Amino acid sequence: MSTATRSVSTPAAAPPSPALTPIFVRLKLSLLKNGLRQSPGRTAAYIISMAVTLLFAAGLLLGLILLRGVSGAPALAVLLTAILTLGWAAMPLFFPTADETMDPTRLVMLPLRPRPLIGSLLIASLIGVGPVFTVVLAAGSVVAVAHGAAAVIVGVIATVLIVLVCAALARAIATANVRLLTSRRGRDLAVLSGLFVALGAQGVNLAAQKLAQSQGLAALEPAAAVLRWIPPASAVDAVDAAGRGAYGRAVFGLALTALALVVLLWWWSRTLTTVMTSPDSSTLQAIEKDSGRKRAGRAGGWERLLPDGRTGTVMRRTMLYGWRDPKTKMGWAAALGVGLILPVVTAVQGGGSVYTACWASGLLGLQMYNQFGQDTSAFWMVASTLSTRRDAFLELAGRALAVAVIAVPYVTLVVLGSAALLDDWAAFPEVYGVALALLGALVATGAFASVRFPYSIPSDGNKNVAPGQGGIAWISMLVGVVMGGLLCLPVIGLTVGLHVAGLQGLLWLVLPVGAVYGAVVAVLGLRLTAPVVLRRLPEILVAVSKG
Amino acid sequence: MTTESSGAGEQAGTAGAPAAVRIHSLWKKYGDHTAVAGIDLTLPAGRFIGLVGPNGAGKTTTLSMVTGLLRPDAGQVEIGGHDVWRDPVAVKSRIGVLPEGLRLFERLSGGELLSYIGRLRGLPGDEVDKRAGQLLDVLDLSAARNKLVVDYSTGMRKKIGLAAALLHNPEILFLDEPFEGVDPVSAQTIRGVLERYTGSGATVVFSSHVMELVESLCDWVAVMAGGKIRADGPIGEVRGDAPSLQDAFLELVGAGSRARAGENLDWLGGGGAR
Repeated sequence: MSTATRSVSTPAAAPPSPALTPIFVRLKLSLLKNGLRQSPGRTAAYIISMAVTLLFAAGLLLGLILLRGVSGAPALAVLLTAILTLGWAAMPLFFPTADETMDPTRLVMLPLRPRPLIGSLLIASLIGVGPVFTVVLAAGSVVAVAHGAAAVIVGVIATVLIVLVCAALARAIATANVRLLTSRRGRDLAVLSGLFVALGAQGVNLAAQKLAQSQGLAALEPAAAVLRWIPPASAVDAVDAAGRGAYGRAVFGLALTALALVVLLWWWSRTLTTVMTSPDSSTLQAIEKDSGRKRAGRAGGWERLLPDGRTGTVMRRTMLYGWRDPKTKMGWAAALGVGLILPVVTAVQGGGSVYTACWASGLLGLQMYNQFGQDTSAFWMVASTLSTRRDAFLELAGRALAVAVIAVPYVTLVVLGSAALLDDWAAFPEVYGVALALLGALVATGAFASVRFPYSIPSDGNKNVAPGQGGIAWISMLVGVVMGGLLCLPVIGLTVGLHVAGLQGLLWLVLPVGAVYGAVVAVLGLRLTAPVVLRRLPEILVAVSKG
Repeated sequence: MTTESSGAGEQAGTAGAPAAVRIHSLWKKYGDHTAVAGIDLTLPAGRFIGLVGPNGAGKTTTLSMVTGLLRPDAGQVEIGGHDVWRDPVAVKSRIGVLPEGLRLFERLSGGELLSYIGRLRGLPGDEVDKRAGQLLDVLDLSAARNKLVVDYSTGMRKKIGLAAALLHNPEILFLDEPFEGVDPVSAQTIRGVLERYTGSGATVVFSSHVMELVESLCDWVAVMAGGKIRADGPIGEVRGDAPSLQDAFLELVGAGSRARAGENLDWLGGGGAR
């Protein structure tokens, strides 16, 4: 096997250049070792994360060994390999600084040729906890499906190929995106990574529940039927095929994965050459061209629909920030995602109520909270233009309308969808009315909490509260949500009253009452808050400038 | 003799000349640390005024309180005769601010930022667009107007901040360290715009710790150290007999003696064995 990898790594036995592989291997080992030389807390976290990863790998290995011989095992093994590959592909995009040897521009000043470099980097990237995890999982998948001597031989080849494809894929993607990963855009993407992980976990959760409910592993069969043709999962399928005596298919599966490896190495080598020979100063130019082009094509359009004056100006800025500022975008994406997933999940699980749709309204209403924290210290630009109560009201109204423009249609869709999914159209008017009242109440209390309990949102990292302001953030949420709930009581009371009194025929009344009530409460909240904004401008600025 | 602001410069800011800013016993404390200790200062209108002092002298704190971004513990600030805290309507439309250490709305492009701030100031949309275009041209930012401010260099940020501060044609401009970290080309551009602006009778107040810059730009200075004003007046007066503003400044803030403390380091230098 070692000759096979050697022939891939240094095909033309490059001229007198020094042996790169030991150098890169040593570099990688030093980087790993240096993980132990940080502050005690970080060192502990580093060791614990490694230990947890290895334990997780051991657990998976044990599970896969136990699954050996179970009918659905091949499907599961194929699926696991596919997910593993996806993880390797996504890793450099979300955690660009995880492996410093991933950034080839750091080597650009050294006299290195791409081909030997590729071999050495590929071998270096096989060192670390991630690759160990991959080897264990690939080996486990093979063990779960390998029956017979032929299958074992194919299995060994398959394991090596899977690990190499994963490593080459991560390298190739990292190199192709090196400009992105070292730029501001790359860092923005990294901020969003938590969200993708959370939503992905929700997807896995759903799948697992479905699995538990239905006929077990057989439920994976449709997905596996497609994935078994995609390398490197095709290598796992090859092992299974060899065990069943389908040698043609086994060879085909292995060949497919080997081909993928060759293509990846070729692509990687090409991008590596481009990256290492094109001037670095082009980085800035490239970004400039990008953002210029994007905006030129988008000017006008929806912006013409906004109202005139301060309200429209503020709405436009708030909405642009919802899209462009990674932290604000994450808040919105999480609210939209979870607001949709919760009702759908409960509906799928059965026994849900249309009222779960109120989650969408609650989560989107929370976007009105800590409005000025979202501005960061740039709030001074707002503060220096606010001089009358009317200014302050229009500022708040612009922000509230920006929330409402997204939230009202979305809540409508989610309530409609929930009613359709549960086939409970009778509940639609009352739920929709309560949802709108809740939205209005949260907008009102959110505006007040934004002014009374502002806190900073650090622009980097995954924290959403600046150190030392956790208490304020917590109070803001707690008081706001409790007050929001209390403000909804009249509409909830009306609904409950109609139910108790047996006046089901009048329940449609909750819809108009809730809608009007929500709007009135929101406007009143903004009106009452406006003078407070004006009084507290310097205090708000201090509170939101800590990030 | 024709205008009192240039002819009788020595008396400006004291007797009959109009005052752009009047500060009366302004205080700010952070815990035990007194950042600004009872400042009294009158800044004349129509001048290029430098607020100089070492790091930590209280320049930024003072400018923040004067522009209404930071609430003072005590004291009054009047701008053009209007109290900053009681009459924000009159004050905020008259001043332009470029603070230090506070961000801009960086996820807007330069063009969008100006369009946003101009409309927040209540200017008509087409007027905002016209002025923004001209400012971007003069400040050499036209090529970067569609680029997000987050991707701007320090010099470009200062320039777009200056454009945002000038957009509503304020009477008084407050700039906190406008040349800090700015490349020479951008600095020259900023300088040109500021000189044209004060040439038309407007007032610029800017803080800096670079004496050469202040000496070459300003006709009026206030020297700050330890939260207090050590000297203020026309630049010739503050400089006195000292060969340069730098020397006068070191004398005023008492750093001259600290420089001589170098005598303690008599072991330091080339040629010594150990």
